[in-house]
Amino acid sequence: MKELEKLYDRIIQRVNINLRELEFDVKPFVWTLIPPEQMSKFYAFYGISPDHPLSLQFRHCGLAGSYFLGRCSLTNSLLYKSDIRGDELKKKGDIFHFKNFKISVSKDEEIEIEDSALIKTLVHNYSHDPETPEKFFIKDTVSTHYANIHGSPSEGCFLGPFATIDLTTMHDCVIGSFSYVQAGEINHLKIKPGTIWVRNPGQFNFLYRHPVEKLHQYIYFTPGNQPQGLLIDFMEDRKEAFQRIFDLVHVDHGVEVPKSASLDRYAVTKPTTTISENVLVAQRAFIQNSFLGRGANAQENCFIINSHLEGYDITAHGAKIIEADMGRNVFVGFNSFLRGRPNCRLTIGKESIVMPHTIIDSRKPLSIPAGHIVWGMIQDQNDLEANSLPINTFSKIENRFSKGDLYFEGSGQAFVSAFQNRIQHILEANGALFDGSKNMGHAQKNQNISFNTIQPYPKGDLKGLYPTIVIQP
Amino acid sequence: MENYTVKDLMVPISEYATVSEDATLYDAVMALEKAQEEFDHNKYRHRAVLILNHKKHVIGKLSQLDVLRAIEPRDAKIDEIDDITRFGFSEPFVNAMREKYRLTGPLIKNALDTAMKIKVIDCMQAPSEGEYVGETASLDTAIHQLVMGTHLSLLVTRKNEIVGILRMSDVFAAVFHAMKQSEKKE
Repeated sequence: MKELEKLYDRIIQRVNINLRELEFDVKPFVWTLIPPEQMSKFYAFYGISPDHPLSLQFRHCGLAGSYFLGRCSLTNSLLYKSDIRGDELKKKGDIFHFKNFKISVSKDEEIEIEDSALIKTLVHNYSHDPETPEKFFIKDTVSTHYANIHGSPSEGCFLGPFATIDLTTMHDCVIGSFSYVQAGEINHLKIKPGTIWVRNPGQFNFLYRHPVEKLHQYIYFTPGNQPQGLLIDFMEDRKEAFQRIFDLVHVDHGVEVPKSASLDRYAVTKPTTTISENVLVAQRAFIQNSFLGRGANAQENCFIINSHLEGYDITAHGAKIIEADMGRNVFVGFNSFLRGRPNCRLTIGKESIVMPHTIIDSRKPLSIPAGHIVWGMIQDQNDLEANSLPINTFSKIENRFSKGDLYFEGSGQAFVSAFQNRIQHILEANGALFDGSKNMGHAQKNQNISFNTIQPYPKGDLKGLYPTIVIQP
Repeated sequence: MENYTVKDLMVPISEYATVSEDATLYDAVMALEKAQEEFDHNKYRHRAVLILNHKKHVIGKLSQLDVLRAIEPRDAKIDEIDDITRFGFSEPFVNAMREKYRLTGPLIKNALDTAMKIKVIDCMQAPSEGEYVGETASLDTAIHQLVMGTHLSLLVTRKNEIVGILRMSDVFAAVFHAMKQSEKKE
């Protein structure tokens, strides 16, 4: 067995040891997901900029097609086409607020990945664990296609395709395909596919589970097989466009980008696309024949096709918007899939919130009024009525509420406020509110990034692995 | 009280309600009723049925709670509501969801016919390690096992054979009696 396979085997064993209580065997799910040949085929790359502290360390790792920014330390790990984006890490001297604690940060925060395998995964934001404010750790963890590990230290976990763990520390958990968890801290939990769970203990608890049969049309993952379903097909169909971008040394996107906006060198744009002031288009985003109004953004693995975004719209990591018209200040959560059709477009009114991991896929025109919150699986008008509420009505929930497959306990006002505050924070962080001198964010800072590439051993026992590399200012 | 052993307070297995592993829930309920009729109500009030395999060895116990659990109507929605307890919802919330669904969902009385045909082996509780106690063990030991395991009864063994059942109600009666004796002495 070559060194790369030995390493993969060892990572899987470590995850399985952590998950033994849940009787979950990772190996049948993931052993064939990283073909050894692919690991030597793609280069890895990293960004350097005056706005982000730089410290990259790679020891005994495979990094094919992966991207790094900021302070990252990797040991005994395999990454395949993953993004480790350390541009929101805490800095020395920052104050981290957690409940009634004000925690001072003693050194620049670092993303530390150890004994883990991440496949087409995004790692972003910063550790929300008050016990480790300077270390965003990912240890003994395997994640699969288009998973998001967002501000969530993880130990001994498995994430299925399109799973998102957000602002949550997790130990020894299995997160099923297309599940979204934001719960502060979780331990020894097996989350079924299609579970959307947002909990702030003592404040609110939101739980929705996608109907399994319908979800399987979109994502289906069984041991021994590659992930399947419409979401995977959708990504595969656009893979070639990205391949071209990665193969070119100098990329001309052929689209005008205002000075206050940022179009990443590793994004794909297709005619006829308009990018307005303060727009952020991140790497691996795909924009085709769309209008992005002032302050709109498209984060990693977002697809915006034949759509119009009025302005200040947030398209969170992995969200897809097709044949849709969005009013101002619409928030579309992680990995949501919103698809209208050419003759029956999807319209979403201003200031609406589309919950993370929502699927809206209608073959008839569908219109979501302004100021609504929507969630779950929506394939027609009836589904929309079952899975939406005016935000004002939701805010009035005081104790408990259930509708269709949604269970909600706690304060609707606290829940809505938490989302609205976060939306405001995202707009600020992304530079949507930049006024020419103040409120700079990613859209402005990311213009100053240059990229370097690194390569693995091309042959021999170490084929596909990288030598130890330390990159510092 | 310190002179009592488990053997002194146990109900001999020959006097206890038993059914074979092939029996249905209905058979078990009938066996329990028959056992109640045959013995002095004040002395032995049976609250469980022991399940025997073909070699007449005890393989499980069917309590009143097990019977009630078995006749509760179950469907995917009820399972879903039960499952949300894992996600940190409060007990009042889960109960409210159950009650809300009960108004539109299946009723217990409609589920009775189906439930009575269930095999006892599918709804019994197999005894855990802490549910066995030797017949010569002291009452103190038995009380400790009942408290620590929150058991309603213990299976009493002689070598590898189960010879009786020690019920919490009999242990409590003995403790109560000892308290009264102690009070009189003082």
